[in-house]
Amino acid sequence: MGAAQVPVALIDHGLGSTLKPSHSQPCASLVGDLMPTERQLKESLREVGDLKAALDEHAIVATTDPQGRITYVNDRFCAISRYAREELIGQDHRIINSGHHPSGFFKALWKTIAAGKVWRGEIRNRAKDGSFYWVDTTIVPFLDDEGRPRQYVAIRADITVRKRAEENLRTSLTEIGDLKRALDEHAIVAITDPQGRITDVNDKFCAISKFTREELIGQDHRIINSGHHPPEFFQTLWRTISRGKVWHGEIRNRAKDGSFYWVDTTIVPFLDETGRPRQYVAIRADTTERKRVEEEIRELNAQLEQRVARRTVDLEAANRELEAFSYSVSHDLRSPLRTLNGFSQAVLEDYGSLLPAEGQRYLQTIRTAAQRMGDLIDDLLALSRLSRQPIKRQVIDNGALVRAVVEELRALEPGRVIGVEISNLAEAVGDFGLIRQVWMNLISNAFKYTGRNPMARVEISSKFHQGECVYCIRDNGTGFDMRYVGKLFGVFQRLHRVEEFPGTGVGLAIVQRIVHRHGGRVWAEGAVGEGATFSFTLGAEEVP
Amino acid sequence: MTPGAGLDILLVEDNADDAELVVRALRRGRPTARIKVAADGVEALDYVFSEGEYRDRSPGEMPRLILLDLKLPRVDGLEVLKRIKSDAVAHTIPVVMLTSSREQRDIDETYRLGANSYVVKPVNYERFTAAVQEVGAYWLALNQGRRAGD
Repeated sequence: MGAAQVPVALIDHGLGSTLKPSHSQPCASLVGDLMPTERQLKESLREVGDLKAALDEHAIVATTDPQGRITYVNDRFCAISRYAREELIGQDHRIINSGHHPSGFFKALWKTIAAGKVWRGEIRNRAKDGSFYWVDTTIVPFLDDEGRPRQYVAIRADITVRKRAEENLRTSLTEIGDLKRALDEHAIVAITDPQGRITDVNDKFCAISKFTREELIGQDHRIINSGHHPPEFFQTLWRTISRGKVWHGEIRNRAKDGSFYWVDTTIVPFLDETGRPRQYVAIRADTTERKRVEEEIRELNAQLEQRVARRTVDLEAANRELEAFSYSVSHDLRSPLRTLNGFSQAVLEDYGSLLPAEGQRYLQTIRTAAQRMGDLIDDLLALSRLSRQPIKRQVIDNGALVRAVVEELRALEPGRVIGVEISNLAEAVGDFGLIRQVWMNLISNAFKYTGRNPMARVEISSKFHQGECVYCIRDNGTGFDMRYVGKLFGVFQRLHRVEEFPGTGVGLAIVQRIVHRHGGRVWAEGAVGEGATFSFTLGAEEVP
Repeated sequence: MTPGAGLDILLVEDNADDAELVVRALRRGRPTARIKVAADGVEALDYVFSEGEYRDRSPGEMPRLILLDLKLPRVDGLEVLKRIKSDAVAHTIPVVMLTSSREQRDIDETYRLGANSYVVKPVNYERFTAAVQEVGAYWLALNQGRRAGD
């Protein structure tokens, strides 16, 4: 390149301001005046050489001819484009076209520089290995005497890193924008300065507080203070967040119209480089509804407790009445019975000989009925007492208990032959007296209903079935019709006539009540003439 | 009651039928027994302490056995029991509760007050008669009584 032309190019690019004063005049004037001395030229060349070297250190430089073919590239150009100098010289810039910019972009570029104007812009190019890079580009046209471009000098700076950062920032901003929008949809958001004055609120904040944004900005949160919380509450809150810690809690606020609302609140302080809060972001959720429901539940529970307490009192009163009743029955009803019994016997004993057999039979009938009434009263009282009695739980050796009961029952019928087989019986937990009653009633039934069978046989066993222990008493006695099994455990319900088998029909009702109070079940299977099997379980928990 | 002859049994029973049956049963076992029936607590106490309608009774003639029902009009069985068992002289008389109540609290209370025995009147007449006879036989014949006034 010609020595006289370089200084102008340098000036246009903004470099070499020190050169300006001595070269402020166009070179043509120099030509018109005296020719520069050889020494002056040598000096200019050296300075220019220095400047060029400096430029090459800093920028990516290329020169092209007026047709756009590359005539010169510096090392940085080769480095960034990854082409060798030989591969570039003679090529035009299509060799590094990345296809990123539309064709209109380059058309405008050419139009500008072809008109002799400087073009400034950012171009994304493609290196030899296919990778991309961004350059901040200035293209300076140099004109000939007719004002037409004779060459273009392009000075570029690698801004790939900055561009990537810009791209990431844009992506982050979009993401953050999305998150913020989502947050605003869901939560009530407010931002305050370190002094607690509101700097921004979202729409939901305005909606719930019924203030407009303008009314809120610049205020502090006293504007929505409901007076519900003591001052210490807010003092603690401030202490926490001003120390840089997140605060979480529930606050009751007052809206503009005086109504109240509860918010579940998280306040997050954001700190500056010195660790002091520069702003607070408060995120809230409206929990007014939940609070109301909680209050209702508390109310209901309190009411329920009251109701239970009342019922308990009623129940206790009912029990006391029942007890008084039972006591009265036990005393007052038995007395006339005794008279019935006693005097009819007295008649038989003292004057029986005067009576014909039929008369004696009548009296006997009266006595039998009186006796039966006594049994009924006894059984009813026992049954009623059962419901009131507390259960004292202890471990029961059923084997020993059953053997004792069987002994007792055998002793009542000394002459009788009856085969009793007692297998290994599992222990149980329950009230000893009551469980004894269960065994007594069931086994005495077995004895009773095998009364007609000379080869009477009773089998008592226990087994585990589906996790619980089932006790069974099986007899080969008269059995019962399964069609009436539902009546078996009813009070005073009997499936046999009193003349056939004595009994009041309360025994099984008593068994059922005791078993139920222990949380267990009792059931029976049988067939007419083929005996019966009674089974029961005892639960783990008492049932009142 | 002939003067000088002691009373064997004082039966305190308000129910006339029951009283008759008891006396009948007692006589079965001991045909010559001297038995008095007091129909309520006041009469029983008046007799034992020679007061009221019995103030002319000779105080030395304490019954050898008292059969006492619980439910009595005017003054009830517990009160009678308490008065007798807290008296310096009368407390030596054996008192057998003869009542239809099977309630545990009645049993406990009467023993606490010093009853010597507690028998529940059976509904069944045979057993009732047998029980009464057993009571009479035990306390009048088998049991060695305390000397009155010890």
